[in-house]
Formats: sequence, C-alpha cells, structure tokens
Amino acid sequence: MDVKNVVKQWKTIAASVEAVDFAVTGYDYDLSVAGAKVPELANFMLKSGFYLVDLMAVHVTPSIEVVYQFAHVETRCRVMIRAFVDANNEIPTISDIYQGANWHERETRDFHGVVFVGHPNLEPLILAEEDVDLKPLLKDEKSLKDVAAIRRQQPEPKPEAAKPEAVKSQEQS
Amino acid sequence: MNVEPLEDDRHHRFVLNMGPQHPSTHGVLRVLLELEGEYAMHLHPVLGYGHRCHEKIAEHKPAKSFMPNTARMDYLGALIYNQGYAQLLEKAAGIEVPQRAEYIRVITAELNRIQSHLLWYGAYLLDLGAFTPIMFAFDDREHILDILEDVTGSRLTYCYHRVGGVSKDIDDKFVSRTRAFIERLRSRYTMYEDLVNGNVILQKRLIDVGELTPQICARYGVTGPLLRGTGVAYDIRRAEPYSVYPEFDFEIPTETKGDCMASFMVRYREIEQSLRIIEQALDKLPEGPSMAAKVPKKLKLPAGDYNSSVEAPRGELSYYLVADGSDVPYRLKVRTPSYSNLSTVPETCSGMLLSDVVSAMGSLDLVIPEIDR
Repeated sequence: MDVKNVVKQWKTIAASVEAVDFAVTGYDYDLSVAGAKVPELANFMLKSGFYLVDLMAVHVTPSIEVVYQFAHVETRCRVMIRAFVDANNEIPTISDIYQGANWHERETRDFHGVVFVGHPNLEPLILAEEDVDLKPLLKDEKSLKDVAAIRRQQPEPKPEAAKPEAVKSQEQS
Repeated sequence: MNVEPLEDDRHHRFVLNMGPQHPSTHGVLRVLLELEGEYAMHLHPVLGYGHRCHEKIAEHKPAKSFMPNTARMDYLGALIYNQGYAQLLEKAAGIEVPQRAEYIRVITAELNRIQSHLLWYGAYLLDLGAFTPIMFAFDDREHILDILEDVTGSRLTYCYHRVGGVSKDIDDKFVSRTRAFIERLRSRYTMYEDLVNGNVILQKRLIDVGELTPQICARYGVTGPLLRGTGVAYDIRRAEPYSVYPEFDFEIPTETKGDCMASFMVRYREIEQSLRIIEQALDKLPEGPSMAAKVPKKLKLPAGDYNSSVEAPRGELSYYLVADGSDVPYRLKVRTPSYSNLSTVPETCSGMLLSDVVSAMGSLDLVIPEIDR
C-alpha cells in the first residue's frame, strides 16, 4: 500500500487529515470527516485494503462523536476517523460496506442512541429489548464536556510522574 | 426475526435455540438457528447475556483501578488483557517501564497464550466428540497454572501486570519450573500429532468447513489465528511491535485455506512459537527492578485519545481511551477480537450442516464474556 497516495485521497474526502505520533497516541492518522461523507470514505478504505478495527461513540457537546478505527494488514497504518452526528443523532451506516460494522453500530445505538441511517436491523444487541431507551453511556449534565476538553493540547503537557512528591506512593493499584 | 413458512410442508423450516446453555457455545451465547432438516439456513447470534457494563464502570473510577476488570473480560487471556491496559495507561501518563518488567510481562503473557490455546485444543476436540485430548491438554495446562499461581497469586483472572511494571518479581524457582515445562510440552508434540492432528475423523470434520477469505476478514475485522489461517501473516506483535517483542526471533505460522483445519493448525503451531519466545526471554532476562520507581498514586491522564493494541490469543485487542485531564477515563472502549470474529457467523455458516456449525463456531475459539463485556 502506498501511504502517500492514500493520504492524498483522504484529503479530497475528509475535512482534515493529521499525522500523529504513534509513540504517544498508539495510532498514525487522525481524520475528521463530515457525517454524510463517511460511506464514501469507508468505501475508499475497503478498496485500499484496510480492515475495520472498531467503531464507537463519545458523548461530548455539541453533539455525539462517532469514531471509526481502521488498520492495514500490510503496512502499519492505524487510522482514527471522527464524524459528528447530526441534530437528530443520525449518521449514515457503513454496514453495507463493512459488514463487521453491523454489530458495532447496533452496540453504539444501544449505548449512545446514535441512529445509523440505512442499517438493516438496528435492534438492541448487547442490552435487553426493554432497555432500548436506556442509553447508558450518555453523560449526565455534570460530567458532559465540550469536545475541546478531550482534544490533545499542543504542546503536550509534561507527565506528572516527574513530580518529586509522587515518589513514595508506589503502592499497588 | 421473521421466519417465512414454505409452501411445501415437507421442507418446513423450524427454529431451534442453541444456547444460552449449550455446551458447545462455551458460555452464555445463544444462537437462533433456522433449520431446514439438518441444515442451518440462517443463524442469528443473540448476545448480551453476560453484559457486565465494563465500559460504564471504567468511566466511574480511577483508571488504575480498572485493571482487575480487564482480566474478567477474557478469562483465558487475562494477562494479555492486563498488558494491553497497562501499556495504555503508561502511554497516556508517560511512565517508563523497567526492562526486566517488560521481559516478565512477555514471559507470563506467552505462558497465558499457551494456556489459552491448550484449553481451546481440548475443548474444541471435546465438541467434536473426542474425549481423550482434553485430559492431556488439561494436564499440560495445569503446569502453567501452577507456575503462574506462584508468581501472580491467582489461577485464572490475573491482575499481575500493573501500571509501571509487575506486582511481584519472578525468582529462580519460576525460571527453572518454566524451563522444565518447556521441555515437557515439547516432548508431548509427537503424542498430540499421533493422537489428534493426523486423525482422519478430525480431518473430515474440519477440512473445507467454515472457509474464510482475506476479503471476508477485512470486511468483518477478523484477526488472530483465523486471519492467519487465510494466509495473511498479520500479528500485532510483529506489525505494531510493542513491549520487547522486537528482540525475539519467532515465526508467524500461517496456512492458506482459511477453513477450520487451517486455524486449527495455526493455533497448534503458535504454541511452539510462544515457547520459543519464552525460552529467549528467559535467556536474556535482565537484572533490575520489576516496577518503575515513580508511579504516582493518582495518574494524570493528559487530555487526548490513546490507543493500545496487543495480540490476544483470539486476535487483536485494542483499548481506546479518551481522557479529559483527570485520572478517570472520559471514555474507554475495548475492542475485543471474539466480537468481530463471531459476527462473521451469519454469513459464513448459513447453509451448513448443524454438526458443521459446531465445528465452525468452535474454531472461532469464542470467549463470551469478552463479547458481552
């Protein structure tokens, strides 16, 4: 796989493409994309030989963020793709492109109430049928944060481990 | 679920529940089977019987104290789950792990992997109707449990890898017992091969059953021995080297056919590769502390997101952490391999004989608690 070419293609679809430090974050590229363009990007990912690692949601303001994780079997290229849901908590499904997304999307519907438009069977998967409106992973007002609060700060703050008073606290976690 | 009755009554379809208490689903997994005679036309896995809200729990307590929960997701690869989570927090908090601790982690994690494969070996063959191999496999597995019990204090749900190192250093007794075990397990290969792997009944049950292709694997996110059975040499230990794995010489066993026999042989051959890693790690084991000197009691996780992927016995395990600057994760997502591996079943197993469904699902090496989380 030619990473440079793939990055070029990403730039035509995604709103932003950022290379991140693998040693710090554990992944290589960070993409933001408009919700409506997710299927187009997923199609491209499948064509380039990426497999779907994971799909999840994070509850922040202004709206829930859906994070797709892809990786490649030949080259080390782990990608996070972020997209915000629209005002009705909707985002297009990719389960017709990556069938593995089917269950991940049902799980995300269970936990966050994200509606994946076009999904063939958005019934509860992990939760019981009567808990369809429970949405257990939504934050309450007190703990809900803005999306800026969970973004990486530049430059990175020094780890606290360097503080001298932390030396004596080696007890078991 | 809609079952459409057929017009011809002789071929009437009926629905059968396999599980949640069926022995060959290895846990509380329920599979709704739509049968036509003895052929399973549609399969609908029903999950969630063992859902324990691990991700919700993670958002409500300090990140360090989630470690025991990781072991309870995959009870067979508990140390590898420990390792992935410890690496995640070390990455986020910027903690350096001493070399010796990394070696100990690799040794114990590989022992854990062999233990998991041995249990699968016995239990899978039991599903297929062979009773004897589980006795031999459990006999070998017992040695690993004894070795690990001495150093970790538990036999199944370990909490041994900690943020910054391991909770207890290993001693000479551990080293000598592990070396003795390596020798013992190697002396058993001939027996396993004569008794099981060449058995014609086993081959008839596994060859050409439940075939996967690299394309199916990519679409579903199938990883681990199943993917390697299709000829793709993808192993996180090699593709995204973590810990001290780059220092060891080991092969990634692959097969080409992608059927149950292929993943069977991949797992069987992985046992030897894990032994090789352990052997080299014991030879190179450096002196020094087994725990980092400065691990703060309260971890500070700088805002941002962190990912940590490791190779679990069943495939790729990824922890994804979203931190907001406090010591409690804002969101923790655990990507477990069995979840993606099982999701192929409706596609790959439809139209199969019911007895082949048992073969195909057994070859996924399912651990249900990691699917339900």
